[in-house]
Amino acid sequence: MTVSTKEKTTEKFDEEFLKKLEYLYIMSKKIVSGSARAERKKRLVGSGIEFADHRPYAAGDDFRTLDWKIYGRTEKLFLRLFEEEEDLYIYFLIDSSRSMQIGQINGQANKWNYAKQVAAALGYIGLSNFDRVSIIPFSSQLEGRMPPARGRAQIFKIFDFLNRAEPGQQTNMADAFKKFVNQNKRTGLAVVISDFYDPEGFEAGLNFLRYHRFEPIVIQLFDDRELDVNLHGELQLVDSETGNVTNITVTPDILKQYRAAFEHFSNQLDDYCKKRQILYFRAPIQVPFDELILKIFRAGGFIK
Amino acid sequence: MQFTGLPLQTVLALAAAAAVFVTVLYLLKLRKRRIEVPFSPLWNQVLASQKSYTDWWNRLKRLLSWLIHIVLVALLAFAMAGPHFKDEVLTGRHILVLIDNSASMAATDVNGGIDRLDIARRKAADILETVSSQDRIMVAAFNTRIEPLSPFTNDTSLLETPLQNLSVAATGTTYEQALAFAADSLRDKGQSELLIISDGAGLEGKSFENFNFDQETTIRHLKIGERSDNIAITAFNARRYLANKLDFELFVQIQSFFDREIDAELELYADERLVETRQIQLQPDEIYQTFYPSQAIAGEKLEARVRITSRDARDVFPLDDRAYALLPAAQKLRVQLVTDGNLFLEGTLLLNPNIEVTRTRLHEYDVSQSFDVTIFDRVAPPIPDTGNFVYFAPSGPDSPFDTQGAINNPIITDIKKSHPLMRWITLKDVNIGQSVKFRRKSGDDAVASAFGDPIIMTRRETATTDQPDLQRNLIAIGFDVRNSDFPMRVAFPVFIFNLLDYLTIDDQDFIASHETGETWSIKLPADIPTSDVTATMHTPTGQRLPVPIFDGRAMFYGETPGFYRLEIPGVSSVSRPASILLAANMNDVDESRIAPFQLELPDTEVSDQAEALVFRRHQLWIWILLLVSLVLMLEWWTYNRRVTQ
Repeated sequence: MTVSTKEKTTEKFDEEFLKKLEYLYIMSKKIVSGSARAERKKRLVGSGIEFADHRPYAAGDDFRTLDWKIYGRTEKLFLRLFEEEEDLYIYFLIDSSRSMQIGQINGQANKWNYAKQVAAALGYIGLSNFDRVSIIPFSSQLEGRMPPARGRAQIFKIFDFLNRAEPGQQTNMADAFKKFVNQNKRTGLAVVISDFYDPEGFEAGLNFLRYHRFEPIVIQLFDDRELDVNLHGELQLVDSETGNVTNITVTPDILKQYRAAFEHFSNQLDDYCKKRQILYFRAPIQVPFDELILKIFRAGGFIK
Repeated sequence: MQFTGLPLQTVLALAAAAAVFVTVLYLLKLRKRRIEVPFSPLWNQVLASQKSYTDWWNRLKRLLSWLIHIVLVALLAFAMAGPHFKDEVLTGRHILVLIDNSASMAATDVNGGIDRLDIARRKAADILETVSSQDRIMVAAFNTRIEPLSPFTNDTSLLETPLQNLSVAATGTTYEQALAFAADSLRDKGQSELLIISDGAGLEGKSFENFNFDQETTIRHLKIGERSDNIAITAFNARRYLANKLDFELFVQIQSFFDREIDAELELYADERLVETRQIQLQPDEIYQTFYPSQAIAGEKLEARVRITSRDARDVFPLDDRAYALLPAAQKLRVQLVTDGNLFLEGTLLLNPNIEVTRTRLHEYDVSQSFDVTIFDRVAPPIPDTGNFVYFAPSGPDSPFDTQGAINNPIITDIKKSHPLMRWITLKDVNIGQSVKFRRKSGDDAVASAFGDPIIMTRRETATTDQPDLQRNLIAIGFDVRNSDFPMRVAFPVFIFNLLDYLTIDDQDFIASHETGETWSIKLPADIPTSDVTATMHTPTGQRLPVPIFDGRAMFYGETPGFYRLEIPGVSSVSRPASILLAANMNDVDESRIAPFQLELPDTEVSDQAEALVFRRHQLWIWILLLVSLVLMLEWWTYNRRVTQ
């Protein structure tokens, strides 16, 4: 594959990177003007002061919250629900499968490196807003977990975790996210950074998040070099994750159709997200990650 | 289709091995390059839409690729077999190149060369360069004779030098001899070619017999030459007068071969000095003849030259513009008169300054001394076996003429007027007192008779078994001149000189020139030994050639017009050195008629093209290799190219 001149070398989580994150944080404040400092709270219904709603009684519920007035009028048991506020949990689900590893030639960045930079940047923003940030690489399973951390000082913990993160194998979002929702009862933002190259499809995995009250944010990464390949003739294409071999005679027409297929795949993901009001971002890794971050800020949803 | 390459079994074995090798390479080639892609389902989606087409095409393409390579192997094997077209000549031919180097080939009416022979040489050299190494070729020059320059050989380099040294011979052309030689040379030689490079001068109107060329012999005639513009001296002679040997007359014949009127100038040279010029005008195809009577030019070598003076005409054949003749030297006749005294005879002989008279008395007579003519007056001593002898009233035992008495007052009744002795005279009224009565022998010729008895008679004695060296001319006059009134008559000195002329002059007053292209038989003086002597011929071109002598004659083949000098070395105590001057002319009207003409033979086709003679072998294997290379390039460009990173 040819190397685009836009590609950047793998960046390290050093002081320079940290300054860039600080710059991004300041920019986020400008973009989201008027919001209170670190008070992005999750709105839960529980044992608060302010009434929120009713729900039918279930066995085991606390009798103290029964609304006897309604019982008096209807002879049915309803519980009074109050708003309960707690810290926002932000989970960064980073795809560490082999498809994310492709493209690191001569020190050039691949999708995996780019995803870690994006996660670090957004994680820094979250830490700075006193949110609880957790980073979880995944492939067909969860490849480790950084427990939720809070406070800007925890950024180095993120850096350290990301530096030590190991590449995974085959992508299977459904399995990975199933385990994720089982392990993390506290819902929150689930920022999925991936190329979404899942042979089983991305819908099942994202649905798991949605169904378990996580609020997904989808960041689709791709490499321009995958689309602008310089291949000709008789080839055997080997899938980086499954190892499946495809015999193909590559012609310019085939390449054109491949790019169309990728576009169709991306549009499918975009449509899925739009229909479900999921924030969706698509970015080639040849674009500097801070531009992507600013784009996310402008779109809103991540910072409130 | 014919094959000249590797044997069929070898080709098949090599082709089979190559096919196996190609198949192995092909299988190796099918191991495609592996490229890792992040997500193959996207590629599969692309392929799904083209799957049926791709599978079919891939299978066909792979099979087609293998088939192409197998076909290439087959083509290479085909090339190794050395294919040639069916009608192509593959075996060596016998090629006979006959080059005309007769006189007409010296004509300069050609472009690209000096003369016709030069063009012929170049064409022959071109043929030598283009024949196959398997062809066997012989080059022969022909004019009035055939001169093979080599035997049949496939080493054409051996022919180059003789071909370059080939020069024009001022001789005629004998096509019959050349064609017969060609037919004999190419007979039973299989496929053969006869190439005649000639101007065909003299062929016009000539028909040939069937030379029985083989069916496989192809005859070609390359005609050289373009024009016929020529004038030629076709005859040039000089002879002394019989009566006046100090003077002579010349005869010149000039023929024009132009098709229009031209002006020319005739020049005469004596010993290379210009002595006479004459302007002449020649009509188309005119034969102009002229005499130069009573010439008293001093000199021995005479030469006639003709040249065109018309400004718009050019003689393209200068070889026949000169002719040569020799004038017999005015030498004195040595006559011995054996007599006791006869003023009539002595006085008459002394009248002629060209006669050197030696008077001898009978007792002084020496038989060993040699004279041109010996006259015996009333005596008859022994004589040698060779010589010319005249007897007046012969008698005695040694007389060669038998007598039987005498005739008194004979009256001459019969005279052979046509006899040279009777030239310009008559003897009818001569009064004779007495004459010897001869007894005639067989062969005796009576010039004058009296009632049947010969008064004057001649005899030629030639070699016999008993006398092998006998060579005598005898004349007998039966009466004594003093016993007649014959000396008183005007006819007497004429008769005496007629005697001498009859015996000596006939072959000395005229020297015929020799013709080029013939073998000259040159009679040598009588005292030249017949063996163990080799003469030297000095040719007009300055060459000195040895000439064998056989039986008193020198044999020489001359082919250049001009003056020749034959030198015979002397043999001590036997003979003295001698030198003979000769003149040679072409004198061949057919050769001077230089208009080119195409050869035609009965029952045999004669081609006028030599291109087919050029050996052109179609090397198909080269084209096959080019085709293989082209197919390989196309195959690489369309299928096998891989630019991947």
